[in-house]
Amino acid sequence: MNVFRCLAAQWAERYRKMSIQMVLSLSFTAVAAAGMLLMSVSLIWRFSSASEQLVAENSQRVLAQANLNLDSYLRRMMRISDTVYYRSIKNTDLAEGDITGDLALLYEENRDDLVSLAVFDGQGGLVSAVPLTALKQDAKTVDSDWFQAASQSMENLHFSTPHVQNIFDDPDYPYRWVVSLSRHVQLTRDGATERGVLLVDMSFSGVEQVCRDVTLGSGGYLYLIDGDGELIYHPRQQLIYAGLLEENNRAAASYRDGSRQERFQGQSRQVTVKTMGYTGWKLVGVAPAASWPASSSQLPLFGLTLLLFSIFLMAFLNFLISARISDPILRLERSIRELDNGLTGVEIEEGGCYEVQRLSHAVASMVSTMRHLMDDIVRQESRKRRSELEVLQSQINPHFLYNTLDSVIWMTESGQQKEAIQMVTSLARLFRISLSRGKSIIPLADELEHARHYMTIQQMRFKNKFTTVIEAKPGTGELYTLKLIIQPLLENAIYHGCASSEDDGMIRVTAYRDGEDLLIDVEDNGLGMRPELASSLLDEDRPETRTGGSGIGVRNVHQRVSLTFGEGYGLTIFSEPDEGTLVRVRLPALSREEAERCQQGEEL
Amino acid sequence: MKTGKSNVVQAVILAALGLAAVLSLALPQLFRVEREPPLLSLSVMLRDTDSSAWTAARQGMEQAADELGAELRFLTLTVAGDSGEQETLLLREIEDGAAALVVVPADPAALSSALDQWLVVCPAVTLESPMKGAAGTVSPDNALLGRQLAEALAEDWDGGTVLLLDTAGSCAGIMDRLAAAEMALTEAGIPAQRINALPEENCRWLMAFEPAATQQAAERKEAEGKSYSLYGVGAATAITAQLERGNIAAMAAWSDYAAGYLAVRRAVSAAQGEEGKVVPLPFSVLREEDIYAPENQKLLFPIMSSSSR
Repeated sequence: MNVFRCLAAQWAERYRKMSIQMVLSLSFTAVAAAGMLLMSVSLIWRFSSASEQLVAENSQRVLAQANLNLDSYLRRMMRISDTVYYRSIKNTDLAEGDITGDLALLYEENRDDLVSLAVFDGQGGLVSAVPLTALKQDAKTVDSDWFQAASQSMENLHFSTPHVQNIFDDPDYPYRWVVSLSRHVQLTRDGATERGVLLVDMSFSGVEQVCRDVTLGSGGYLYLIDGDGELIYHPRQQLIYAGLLEENNRAAASYRDGSRQERFQGQSRQVTVKTMGYTGWKLVGVAPAASWPASSSQLPLFGLTLLLFSIFLMAFLNFLISARISDPILRLERSIRELDNGLTGVEIEEGGCYEVQRLSHAVASMVSTMRHLMDDIVRQESRKRRSELEVLQSQINPHFLYNTLDSVIWMTESGQQKEAIQMVTSLARLFRISLSRGKSIIPLADELEHARHYMTIQQMRFKNKFTTVIEAKPGTGELYTLKLIIQPLLENAIYHGCASSEDDGMIRVTAYRDGEDLLIDVEDNGLGMRPELASSLLDEDRPETRTGGSGIGVRNVHQRVSLTFGEGYGLTIFSEPDEGTLVRVRLPALSREEAERCQQGEEL
Repeated sequence: MKTGKSNVVQAVILAALGLAAVLSLALPQLFRVEREPPLLSLSVMLRDTDSSAWTAARQGMEQAADELGAELRFLTLTVAGDSGEQETLLLREIEDGAAALVVVPADPAALSSALDQWLVVCPAVTLESPMKGAAGTVSPDNALLGRQLAEALAEDWDGGTVLLLDTAGSCAGIMDRLAAAEMALTEAGIPAQRINALPEENCRWLMAFEPAATQQAAERKEAEGKSYSLYGVGAATAITAQLERGNIAAMAAWSDYAAGYLAVRRAVSAAQGEEGKVVPLPFSVLREEDIYAPENQKLLFPIMSSSSR
């Protein structure tokens, strides 16, 4: 029981690991093979039964014909006996006449079948005989089986088993094998009747000729026995007589008419028995099982070939069909796995049969919907983040505004009206450019202008502690940029670079093209910082620190550029302590049309 | 990966099934070849010039040849018991490609020497007498036969010398019979004497140990009215008739049909390289009154017909 459970568990485990194609093909093939095996066994069994039946019918037909022939032969012998008795013996008074002439006539007419005709009196004395006319001196007629059978059962004719007739004196000593037909007769002598025996010795070859040409298929044969199983004829009779062969004749004597199986000397064979009407002899047909068509080694091999070829074809078809069913499923599964692994651009193939097509279509539709939803989400998130950043950058640090206005008041009070007017003008221009009618992408010239006004205000506030150079290289005049990206960088340069420096500060803003990109460098000669610190400034995980500038962080600028134009764009910071800092902004070189499309939210 | 493994498994299954189908188609052809062995050519040689005494044996041989797929060639000597001629004829048969020989050797020792180197490629089976190097000998137990025949004589003996007819020459099987009979008579206190030819003078008891001598002695007794009691061997019809007519007192008989059949059967198996042993033939010592007993009829009177299948 445990073994079965173990096997079942192993099979279940193996089944779980099998591909759908393997499960389909093996299952179909196994079922088909089992069906064909069953069908083959059934066919062979049916064929075998039919063949056995056919052999039996053939044997019975042959035996019936042999029975007719033999019966006809024996009846002819009986007619001879009747003729002798009723036409000769009964009509002749032995004291007055002789029957030898009649016997001789009959003998001559049937000499091919007869060995002798003889009439004996009740004491075994010879009354008349042909062709031999004298008995041996020591002939024991009365003791002969044929004489006793005729004497004991007077109303019947008796057929003996084959024997060598030994009562007649024949100088040639031919020792002929005969079958004796004897009967009780009534002899008339001087008007009185007395008992006698009529003997008709049939040549054994007569019986043999009737039987020997009967064939029962390959290896089959026929033999003849009397009611006690004593052999009368057998095709290998002399071998049996010599003790070199055995036959199952004694058992066959007890068989009823018809066909039956028997096993004799280790061999299976079909035995058909037909009892002859008058004599009680039995014709026995033997068909060895090895000679039956169904028992031929060719038949099982032919059946095996058919079975194997059928299974081969079925397996081939099953493998093809299962592959046709499972391949689209496997391709679908592979596509889903690729999707699961994050691959983009995976095509969902809608192949295979109807159900699989529908499934593939549903999955493809679902994937498409998911893609659109995810794109929407990403776009919305990006837009939201950019809006937030734009809102942040659009807010002017209140300290900057307060300090600027305080400087204007101070300049006005101290009579520096011209400087005050310049500062207010710069502030106004600063705000105008900041607004830019709500656009987020503005011409590069405006952005540089915005930076210039910012630096004007800061220079006045810091009493020209630093100088500023802002320049646009050739080829950048018609380009557009994200607005308010330079001002936060200048703010950092002032507060973290130059404000604390004791030397005169120098801040340089340079815009130039680099292939399809626009680069804006903001460089100062301030305190600088360690490269590690510089590279971590853009790290999103770094805690945000408020500066003393406008309040818009460098990181925000970087994120705005990245969100707007993609990961390839943004800020790069190069810095060395005591040498200064260079912040480089990389943007796509936008033309007017591209800027407008970008403004409308289209992809570049 | 899994699909690739499945494809390999499927290919292996298909290849195995295809191969099995092809093999099952090819196998019947192989069987067919095995079932049709060629006919074996066997040469049969007696030591007599007249083969009428071997009619039953010949019938048995033909029956066996028919059953076992053999072809028989019967050879006859021009001079009875001529060992030299027998050797010459048999060597010629071997050179002509005989698969096996069935021989009644005139001189077993000489024949064995002559055929010694050939018996490996062409086995020989002997009748009547054993021969060195032969694949088998089909005969009754000769010594036992001689002894039982002598015992039959002893039952009738009422005095006088028993003449033992020594006509065998170099035939060992016949000599065995004679020697055993002589020993049995001596043991029974019956005087015995060997003679080389039929006695001219009258005698009381005579024993012959081969069929031809038995028949000759019986015919002479009948023709010349000799009064000796003859004890002989044989199962031929002529000898049986002599027994029935009282010219033979008792005779040892066996089935010549069986002897012929067994000899060819053993020769065929020896030609096919099979080892085998031949069991001595059963025999009976019969008197006149035993002839027509059913079992003796079967022994003495083979059904001489076309019963062979």
